[in-house]
Amino acid sequence: MNRIFKFCVIFLLFISAPAAFQWPASIACGEETAVASLDISKFQGPKMKDLYYVIISDTDAQLLAMSTGKLDVLSDIYRPADADRLVKSGTVDMSIAPGFHGFFITFNTREFPWDQTILRQAASQVVERRRWTRDLFSGFCEPTSGFLPQISPYYDPDAPTLPAGIDAARERLAKAGWTWNISGWLVAPDGREVPPTKILCPPSSVVATTTEIAMLMAEALMSIGIPVEAEPIDFQTMLARVDARDFDACTNAWSMSRDPDVLYSFYHSSMDVEGGYNMSGISDPELDRTLLDLRYAPDEPSARAAASRAQKILSELTPVIPIYSRYSISAIRNDWNGAFTTDRSTSDNLLTLISMTPKGGGERPIYWNIPSEIRTLNPLVSSTAYDWTVLGSVYDSLISVDPYTFEDMPWLAESWDIRPGSPGSVITFTLRPGLKWQDGRPLTVDDVEYSIRFIKENSVPRFFDTVKDVHSIETDPASGTVRITMANTSYWHLHNIGGMLVLPKHILEGVADWRTWQPTNTTHTALDGTVMTELVGSGPFVFVESRTGEYVHMTRNEHFILFKDGEGAER
Amino acid sequence: MTSARKRLFSSVIVLAVVLALNFLLFRVMPGDPLTGVVDPRFSPEAKQQLAAQWGLDKPLSEQFVVYIREMLSFRFGLSMMTGAPVWDELKNRAPNTVALLLPALILSAALGVWLGVKAAQRRGSIVERLVLIGGAVSFSFPSFFVQLLLLLCFAFAWPVFPLSGTTSIPPPSGIAAFADYLWHLALPLFSLVVLSFGGWALYIRNMMVKAMGEDYVLMARARGLPRRRVVWNHAFRSILPPVLTILLLSLPGVVSGAVITETVFSLNGVGRFLLEATNSHDYPAAGAAFFLLALLTIGCNLLADLCCALADPRVRGEGTRG
Repeated sequence: MNRIFKFCVIFLLFISAPAAFQWPASIACGEETAVASLDISKFQGPKMKDLYYVIISDTDAQLLAMSTGKLDVLSDIYRPADADRLVKSGTVDMSIAPGFHGFFITFNTREFPWDQTILRQAASQVVERRRWTRDLFSGFCEPTSGFLPQISPYYDPDAPTLPAGIDAARERLAKAGWTWNISGWLVAPDGREVPPTKILCPPSSVVATTTEIAMLMAEALMSIGIPVEAEPIDFQTMLARVDARDFDACTNAWSMSRDPDVLYSFYHSSMDVEGGYNMSGISDPELDRTLLDLRYAPDEPSARAAASRAQKILSELTPVIPIYSRYSISAIRNDWNGAFTTDRSTSDNLLTLISMTPKGGGERPIYWNIPSEIRTLNPLVSSTAYDWTVLGSVYDSLISVDPYTFEDMPWLAESWDIRPGSPGSVITFTLRPGLKWQDGRPLTVDDVEYSIRFIKENSVPRFFDTVKDVHSIETDPASGTVRITMANTSYWHLHNIGGMLVLPKHILEGVADWRTWQPTNTTHTALDGTVMTELVGSGPFVFVESRTGEYVHMTRNEHFILFKDGEGAER
Repeated sequence: MTSARKRLFSSVIVLAVVLALNFLLFRVMPGDPLTGVVDPRFSPEAKQQLAAQWGLDKPLSEQFVVYIREMLSFRFGLSMMTGAPVWDELKNRAPNTVALLLPALILSAALGVWLGVKAAQRRGSIVERLVLIGGAVSFSFPSFFVQLLLLLCFAFAWPVFPLSGTTSIPPPSGIAAFADYLWHLALPLFSLVVLSFGGWALYIRNMMVKAMGEDYVLMARARGLPRRRVVWNHAFRSILPPVLTILLLSLPGVVSGAVITETVFSLNGVGRFLLEATNSHDYPAAGAAFFLLALLTIGCNLLADLCCALADPRVRGEGTRG
């Protein structure tokens, strides 16, 4: 497996050489090879009884714990040296996959000189993505010029890119009437000299590579006569200045998702408001129209077409310069079977979690690292990715994501349908029969309806955007269907509602104040008399105990949809 | 007004200033809790809902009134990071911090005092030279370096101590759980003692060298008192007031300075919580932690005055004259 991992890294370095970088269709990093889609019926579990989410924040301590068997699974390995060290330890299997991360240089297009499209285009031509990422990340990330992650099903590889190089950039500027003064600095066609500007970035003590990229970018811009310097400042100060639009250019890194509607948040002119994410301030009527088409696309083909069109327009306007996307790298100790990986998914996923069995046989707890303290396990207020690692193994959603194709996959709902209606899209989910909560009570369409109503009526911020357009809900308990009518038409409503977690009505009804609800501190009696906490979901693991800063103990949910007993009969 | 009343009055003033600064400083710092929500799936409207949830949509004057009420009632409000009462968060973490830092302070002070007195007693001997060198070495190494080195040696290369945390996973039960807790604290405690006894030893040695040369010590010797009594009852007692003051005033600093140790050993303590609360602009949590630190500092200051008065009759005399 280690050899396969090394091969992957070498292969990635190799394929990053051609000008038009393309992620390969399949990389055999894991035990599975890429297929068209996932057959979930082949999975059953969880196979192990106990799971401990172990909280170790220090990176070196994590590596030592992996080497000594105190941890079985480690995610988010981002330092090339750490990956090397783990490979050399000979005790782990590594997996690597392109991720949803994106790193950009954002320009403030509201003011001269970065309001000039031609200047931004020339700036994008002098970026040496491949060299920078090779030098700074030893090939552990993917140079990209795309506005969406390359693994997104909506990424458009045909979006135009400009010819790279200083000469090409200078030629573009010269053709557009830009000149250089006696000192070599750029002068606009209307005679305005390009003033000195700065690229805001966090200090090297926080993210050394980001500071380095800002400096390389400044150097590259200077080479075509744009007086720029990198300005490392405190991260919070940088966020505050960018929020106040008090910047010339800055570095940004985002974790995006499979859906392209994030483009609306980043580049639609209506999002250039306080708290909005259109930091560049780009405002273009054609782009706005296309992004509206994307956001309110009635079906998947129209959404795909709008996403493609938006990426082409963005390539032309260049409000930001995409630089690279970080790979996801994870490690699992090689004394376990059941690691599940695809060309788009590393081994630290739910399917691995439920499939893991020790190679020597028998029963053993799984130790899964969480690199930060759990802040809260209240699903209505929790916001960190680490809280959601735990909550993700407790709660389920109606639909899931196929790890091979990133298309929709049945989960609590066995089928669904979205079609235009009145006043907006109508989504119908049909639940699997025989679903149960972890406390043994039946999970029904009432729970789905109550979850949506509860979140909408209480304007829960985390899910506010998901449910704010819900117009009405109808249920049919006999057929197990929920019909949700939205206030407007958008294909993304399917992913938003389908991806939202389903909460138990019988628990939510007793919650006095959802803001202060501490489900893990309140006891609840299961149908069979077992005492558990109010953190009751339908996912593969049941919460047992949490020790702040130490661990979260979970145990197998024998009512989970994929759990089968020793005889193989589904419960 | 007596000296004690004056001290009490000035302490209240200091506390009021700290309370006001605590409120203002966090709000004039760049960024706010909403700036930290960098998720493009949070629309501006959703962010407004979040601001309303945290009471940030209210005018500053109203926020100030709520803040003062929460602080003075010791309720402290709800942490923005966890949604739980700040008091519960601090209560969860304080035992680890106290269990580590109080023994560390007492042990390092006791060891430093003993070594410092011995070094002062044996001027020019190998003991004094060892104390001076050992003290300087202990005092000058950065804590994270020594702690990482100890982890590497005693938790990885020769794994006699655990790598992180305060409990084994799964945790043992009964008396074994207590033993397990002590085992987890042993290495961080040892590191803190090693890192801080040096400062104490050098300080005590210098003070004792001066005290041992005083006339009253010479007088005690001339009276034929036992050497041990001369050293501890006469010389050491004369330096006790500043030693007590430093010991008591170290307490608040020890809590706030615990961040590095808690991070390196992955200990769940107040120091780390304070750092995370400050970085996340968690106003209620950071405000409460700084308020309690200020209270601790003021309390320790008053206690130091009291202890000095008990240890030194001259201080008592000044008090009554005032």
